[in-house]
Amino acid sequence: MSEPAATPSAPAPAAPADPVTALAARKLRAALGAAVLEVVETGRHPYVRVAPGAIVAAATLVRDDPELAMDCCHLVTGVDWPAKTPADGPGELEVVYHLVSYARRPAAEVLRSKVKSDNFLALKVRVPRDKPEVPSVMGVWVGADWHERETWDLLGVRFTGRPPLRRILLPEDWPGHPLRKDWEYPVEYHGIPIIPPEGR
Amino acid sequence: MSGSEPVPAVPAVPGVVAPATPPVVDASELSSLVGQSLRTEELVVNMGPQHPSTHGVLRVVIKTDGEVVTALQPHIGNLHRCAEKIGESLPYYQWLPYVDRMDYLAAINNEHGACLAIERLGGIVVPERAEYVRLILAEVQRVASHIFAMGVYGLDIGAITPFLHTFRERERGLDLLDHIAGGRLLYHVVRIGGVKRDLSPEWIDECHAFLDAVERRLPEYNALLLDNHIFQERTCGIGVITGKQAVAWGVTGPALRASGVDWDCRRDAPYGIYDRFPFEVPVAPSGLAGTVGDCFHRHWVRFKEVEQSISIVRRALRALPPGEIMAKLPKTFKPPKGEVFVRVENPRGELAYYAVSEGAEKPWRMRCRGPSFSNIAVVTEIAPGTLIADLVALMGSLDIVLGEVDR
Repeated sequence: MSEPAATPSAPAPAAPADPVTALAARKLRAALGAAVLEVVETGRHPYVRVAPGAIVAAATLVRDDPELAMDCCHLVTGVDWPAKTPADGPGELEVVYHLVSYARRPAAEVLRSKVKSDNFLALKVRVPRDKPEVPSVMGVWVGADWHERETWDLLGVRFTGRPPLRRILLPEDWPGHPLRKDWEYPVEYHGIPIIPPEGR
Repeated sequence: MSGSEPVPAVPAVPGVVAPATPPVVDASELSSLVGQSLRTEELVVNMGPQHPSTHGVLRVVIKTDGEVVTALQPHIGNLHRCAEKIGESLPYYQWLPYVDRMDYLAAINNEHGACLAIERLGGIVVPERAEYVRLILAEVQRVASHIFAMGVYGLDIGAITPFLHTFRERERGLDLLDHIAGGRLLYHVVRIGGVKRDLSPEWIDECHAFLDAVERRLPEYNALLLDNHIFQERTCGIGVITGKQAVAWGVTGPALRASGVDWDCRRDAPYGIYDRFPFEVPVAPSGLAGTVGDCFHRHWVRFKEVEQSISIVRRALRALPPGEIMAKLPKTFKPPKGEVFVRVENPRGELAYYAVSEGAEKPWRMRCRGPSFSNIAVVTEIAPGTLIADLVALMGSLDIVLGEVDR
């Protein structure tokens, strides 16, 4: 056992930019302008962050653009980022869209490189925690339906402009959204006592 | 014979109630009913949560018009075990046993994906031999899972014999994994940084024998299912998912390839050492019986994948290098701040992990995409218009595991 805790170095700054993310960022900037808030092209998880109001426009663009052709919404994830101190405001909820293109074929040199895949794109949206409303992308990718319902169920992100959000994994009367960092275990559920992990 | 003869009275027997005589209908009353339509209504039927064809606990509320399904709504969540909540409440390595329990028919593949995600997060390099062992175990698991799925599908649509045949070989595969890991279904053998146990020469011989046995039996399964006229009648042209629908709904795995989309994560976005073992990805051709994207093609893709997996395992066993099976790991594993997204090809489709680290011992967020979750969602679009019996055929052919749908 080697110590101290090996903290392997983060990717070098000279790491090559992810070609798909770079292309998408260029096209999104041209179409949406200031609504593109953040672009990370290098590293292990490149992504493009857009304003919540622009997510449907961004989604439609990356789906319909023949060079990007992101025809599948692979996964929708919510991540809770509460404020470190109360003075920092309410904190934020992040929604990450992992998109895949089946129309794009991976080039041979991409498969031989370390990237291994070039048909993948991540979009991000950040909304305030006290008003977590994100326009739904269900009209763009119908498969996002259940993923959005799950994100509502577990994190309480309200997706607007879609059929009513219902819980999908938890019972309808479950209190709160358990993957929020400040969620507290209820004392009991229909007479069944709940013992939080710390008390076991 | 005239109807006007008096009916002989039934002699009263103590304790026996005489059957009620049917009311005599006047012919003139009947004529008033002629020309009127019968009252019909849609019926809402609950299929499940306990139903032999739901492969677990799935409740599907079906609206039916006679035998035809007009709308349906799957209600999932009965098996929800908070995998993601547990994932962010435990140190990284303690989560791995929970991963096994998501798709309990392909535990090795689940562990493989989770370990890849955590290793990429922490920058851990896995020894060469461990990569081979992982690949071999994952493909043996895929063979076991696929032949089980083939047999169970027969059971779903009324053929009991193939199930008994495939179960026999599947148990041999599970015995192999049992010898390595000490458990029949839930292994916890793929660990962060490598694998827990090494393959012995005896195990390798046993594995070759298993692969030979499965290969010998495949024509037998085919004679029972794919070449069976009754099976073809039940599956050809039933539950057709077009390539466009499959992509839009996020269907992955054999169901996606059965719809004619040529994509396999192992070949097109390779992880581990899959890029060293080129193999043929079976994609539904249009020359088969039925329509591309129907239940028959999904079954066919699964059968073809078994052949490919057998070939991969054989080549990997021959090329197995000597060496370590576990990387040197720090005592406390704290990956640096960052996030990764990893997807692997599970027997049921693409399993993906999205992990966010804040530099602590526990992850900030552990997200898991179960392939069955998206695969079952497509049923809401495909099923309306089919018969109830075909709905069973459709859901069986998607080969869902509810443990993974609900996580």
